[in-house]
Amino acid sequence: MKKELLAFEGMKRILALLFGFTVVQGVSIILQAKWLAEVVTRLFQQEAFQEVYETLLLFIGAFLMRHFLQHVKQKMVYEYSVKLGAHLRKEVLDALFHLGPKVARRLGTGNAVTLLQEGVSQFKQYLSLFLPKMVNMAIIPAMVWLYVLLLDRTSAVILMVTLPLLVIFMILLGLAAKKKADKQWKVYRVLANHFVDSLRGLETLKYLGRSQAHTQNIQSVSERYRKATMGTLKIAFLSSFALDFFTMLSVATVAVFLGLRLVDGEMTLWPALTILILAPEYFLPVREIGADYHATLNGQEAGRKLKEIVDLPRFREEGTCKLERWNHQQELQLNGITVRHEEGGPPSLKGVTLSVKGFQKIGIVGESGAGKSTLIDVMGGFVQAQEGTIQIGGQKMTHLQKKDWQSQLLYIPQHPYIFHDTLWNNLTFYQPHATAEEVRTAVEKAGLGELVQRIPNGLHEKIGEGGRALSGGEAQRVALARAFLGKRPILLLDEPTAHLDVETELDIKEKMLELFCGKLVFLATHRLHWMPHMDYIYFLKDGEIVEEGTHQQLMERKEHYYQMAKAHWGDQA
Amino acid sequence: MKTKDWLLPYLKENKRMLGFVIFFGVLTIFSAAFLMFTSGFLISKAATRPENLLMIYVPIVAVRTFGITRAVSRYMERLVGHDVVLRIVTKMRLRVYRLVEPNVLSSFAKWKTGEVLGILAEDIERLQDLYLKTVFPMLATLFMYGLAIAALGWFSWPFALLMAFYAGVLLLLFPLVSLLVTKAKVQAMKAGRHRLYERLTDAVMGISDWQFSGRQHDFIQEYEREEEALSQDERQRMRFVRWRNTAAQGVIALMVVSMLRWTAEQTAQGELAPVMIAAFVLVIFPLTEAFLPISDALSEIPAYQDSFGRLSRLAKDQKEPKLSLHQDIPRIAAGGGVTLELRHVSFHYDHTEQTLDDISFTIRPGEKLALLGPSGAGKSTILKLIEGAVSPTAGQVVLNGVPTTSLGVDIAKWVAVLNQKPHLFDTTIRNNIRLGREDATDEEIVWAAKQVKLHDYIQSLPLGYDTPLLETGVRFSGGQRQRIALARILLQDAPIVVLDEPTIGLDPMTEKELMLTIFEVLKDKSVLWITHHLAFIHMVDDVLFLDHGKLQLHGTHEQLLKTSERYKRLYAMR
Repeated sequence: MKKELLAFEGMKRILALLFGFTVVQGVSIILQAKWLAEVVTRLFQQEAFQEVYETLLLFIGAFLMRHFLQHVKQKMVYEYSVKLGAHLRKEVLDALFHLGPKVARRLGTGNAVTLLQEGVSQFKQYLSLFLPKMVNMAIIPAMVWLYVLLLDRTSAVILMVTLPLLVIFMILLGLAAKKKADKQWKVYRVLANHFVDSLRGLETLKYLGRSQAHTQNIQSVSERYRKATMGTLKIAFLSSFALDFFTMLSVATVAVFLGLRLVDGEMTLWPALTILILAPEYFLPVREIGADYHATLNGQEAGRKLKEIVDLPRFREEGTCKLERWNHQQELQLNGITVRHEEGGPPSLKGVTLSVKGFQKIGIVGESGAGKSTLIDVMGGFVQAQEGTIQIGGQKMTHLQKKDWQSQLLYIPQHPYIFHDTLWNNLTFYQPHATAEEVRTAVEKAGLGELVQRIPNGLHEKIGEGGRALSGGEAQRVALARAFLGKRPILLLDEPTAHLDVETELDIKEKMLELFCGKLVFLATHRLHWMPHMDYIYFLKDGEIVEEGTHQQLMERKEHYYQMAKAHWGDQA
Repeated sequence: MKTKDWLLPYLKENKRMLGFVIFFGVLTIFSAAFLMFTSGFLISKAATRPENLLMIYVPIVAVRTFGITRAVSRYMERLVGHDVVLRIVTKMRLRVYRLVEPNVLSSFAKWKTGEVLGILAEDIERLQDLYLKTVFPMLATLFMYGLAIAALGWFSWPFALLMAFYAGVLLLLFPLVSLLVTKAKVQAMKAGRHRLYERLTDAVMGISDWQFSGRQHDFIQEYEREEEALSQDERQRMRFVRWRNTAAQGVIALMVVSMLRWTAEQTAQGELAPVMIAAFVLVIFPLTEAFLPISDALSEIPAYQDSFGRLSRLAKDQKEPKLSLHQDIPRIAAGGGVTLELRHVSFHYDHTEQTLDDISFTIRPGEKLALLGPSGAGKSTILKLIEGAVSPTAGQVVLNGVPTTSLGVDIAKWVAVLNQKPHLFDTTIRNNIRLGREDATDEEIVWAAKQVKLHDYIQSLPLGYDTPLLETGVRFSGGQRQRIALARILLQDAPIVVLDEPTIGLDPMTEKELMLTIFEVLKDKSVLWITHHLAFIHMVDDVLFLDHGKLQLHGTHEQLLKTSERYKRLYAMR
């Protein structure tokens, strides 16, 4: 990440500023030590307190200067990290909203949101902690050391020797700890997860009659976890022990050698005191690097993940072709479309070729994993085809992430998303300027009238997550009403009713069939009762179209579709 | 304060260990301080060029000792601290588990989901940090504060009081102010963060709608604006922290100057040897270095408020378990098989309308019943009633005449449940199946796996029955997961099995295969199959149709097909 850091906008400028401030800060640290030592020495030599006023003021000045600079540096880096964090977040949001649901699903909604919020804030924290520390580390020990060298060579040598020793030990012990932790990782993870796992599975344990006896397990696993953790920590903490040990020992050694030479008269009090005050300052940056180590790691990791999303391949730019509004004459053709979700992975769609014209109703059936949803994703412009072309009105392309196309579509998935907003705003999502009359009609057509009557604030009730929760059927009706309101000519439906109870399904099906009139419809489902209502059916198997035709034709062929129907109707077809 | 319940008892319980942690904590600060103190003394003493080297021999040894002690005691402090905390965590886990366990089936909306329970587990994890980063350092520093002031008081009480005041500003005033400031801010920031979290989740969940609406850029702009507004609060807090830290350094400067002045006076009056000046001045730096982090440590406390809140609410919400372990559980004479009977059962939750109204049906040994009805009709309540997790408002649920509510954990001997999402635990396949019966032999496990037609697949895995269910890249499909759960139930060997929509979310082929297996392996058992659709309905003896809390239809599949229009219509939809 360190090299990548330089790629961020404004990073070089910030580093240069930090560098400058830190040099001044280093000077303040040295002066502060020098003047404090001087005050103490003169008091030691029985000078009156009034006589050292001037030097004392200088000391206070240097001391405050040092901390004031710290303040300024922190402010500067903080503001910069806020700016950079916001910039990165915006880039990720842009990428996410460009790439669409496919990527959002792959990342996981929770994961993506956490990354955008906590991840960004971890990244910010990392920057504001790490940058000044890094610059301090690069500058202050060197400056302090040079000054000590000017005063006394022996002390400089002691300090010089300790630092690499310390770093080497820290690294070695750190590696040892990591090795041990890696070895135990598997056991460790199971032990650490055991409690959460138990709570999540409590219902199951209860059904199995094992929940009370399990208390014992929790106790013993938790104790094993403690022992395993302590075993690892014993080694893990050694690395900061080494840091402490060498720092303290080095300061002590410096003090002892100074003392011995003072006794011999080779040295005077002032330089000795100065060195003694500076010795901890020499080690301070190293110690600070060690602190907040985890925050640094997390921030780095978050930054890397965020950057990964920004760098995800975008949809290919294919010019700004104009697409007409869908009508009777229009034709859509897929020619040998192949889609792979992972590079080199098995294709989800393999050489799919089909063609539709005008306002047909197309059924897409097949088992789970046959590629039904992927085909819908292609139509929706959520994925790009690796091979093959899509052709509309004579224009060839590899994906349908086109404003002209998407603005004609309406997509109803199995679980249509209900925004946490009023029912009204949910209904008019695609049609923000719809009139009350239009909304009322759509509500009636979708069978939502009863719900609107029932809830206290009617259309202005907050629904969705955190508001009034809607049942699966109600959510589907909201999507339906949106569709009635939107009057978009193309409908994509992905398993719209499979999770509903039969009575609700029946009612919604009737409403949907009404919606289908005069539209181009793609309906992917394994609920075969839809199929007699479709104009044409494609049967997918392992990403390929293996059968096509009307319901009647496919039943007569007695192959894939027929077999599936038989299974579906419980062998009583 | 609600924090007390989940903090103090654990501190008391581990008094001795806690004593060690604080001892090492104090020793750490003490050694760091005395390293500088004796160093200052050593150098000053040496500067007087004593004739007798022995004069500085003691400080030389002391300097080295303190240097080493500081490193060792810091190491010990961290180690013992973590050990105590992990012990406390075990205790907390047990406490949470004992609170949750008795009521997991009976509690309804509030925290029944595994997710919410998972959050409780995380809360406990978080509280570790409270101990390690706030409680322990605070106690150690306060102790050291007292010690240092007492030591200085030995020289001069008035001056000790002055320094106590300065250090008090660092150790008490600043932390308290920080606590108040963050407390006020934390709530607002949390609320703001939460709002943004919801907005963003909302948008990502509905991302396809945003794409199709063509308004995604509006959203991003709006969202960024709100983030910006929220970051103002954070900015203010950071500004406060920066100024507080700078002010703290000002206080330290004051302490140094006062110390210089006092030592100068003392030496002038001959009360103090001049060699002590450096020692007294230098000791200030390591001491205040230990005091400074306390402000941040204390202002972390509001961040734990939510965790404490959830844990104490949990304790408050839980009623005492109705049945203690030692109470006599009535015996069921099962010689001639077990009959489950619902006799005029009604049930409603507090304050809500009737959920179940006068339900009666019987499942005789070996009988298969389907319980059908739209979601929300009260099907899952019937499961809870059968499990004895809730008591009917009126009527009785009995097994061979014994009410199920009196059976406690013993219910699992008589009734097994296969639900929508049986939990598979983070352990091997073997252990997961063995959960059905603890003393099952490996052969019995293989037998069960063969029954559910999973043996061949398990054998084909590199680790066979020892394949862990998570990680390792082996993904079990929904159907396979149900089969593992089914094998578990076979070992459990209860005479009655309740199937609670076990095929939801499976595709028709998988569903078909699973249902066939289920009915095959359960052919000798009584089965109550809760379902919302009618595929395979012909495989049961009797169909019950539940709607609006009432039994609407009851009869065999054939009868219902003939007599009920509604049933016929639904059957056509399969």
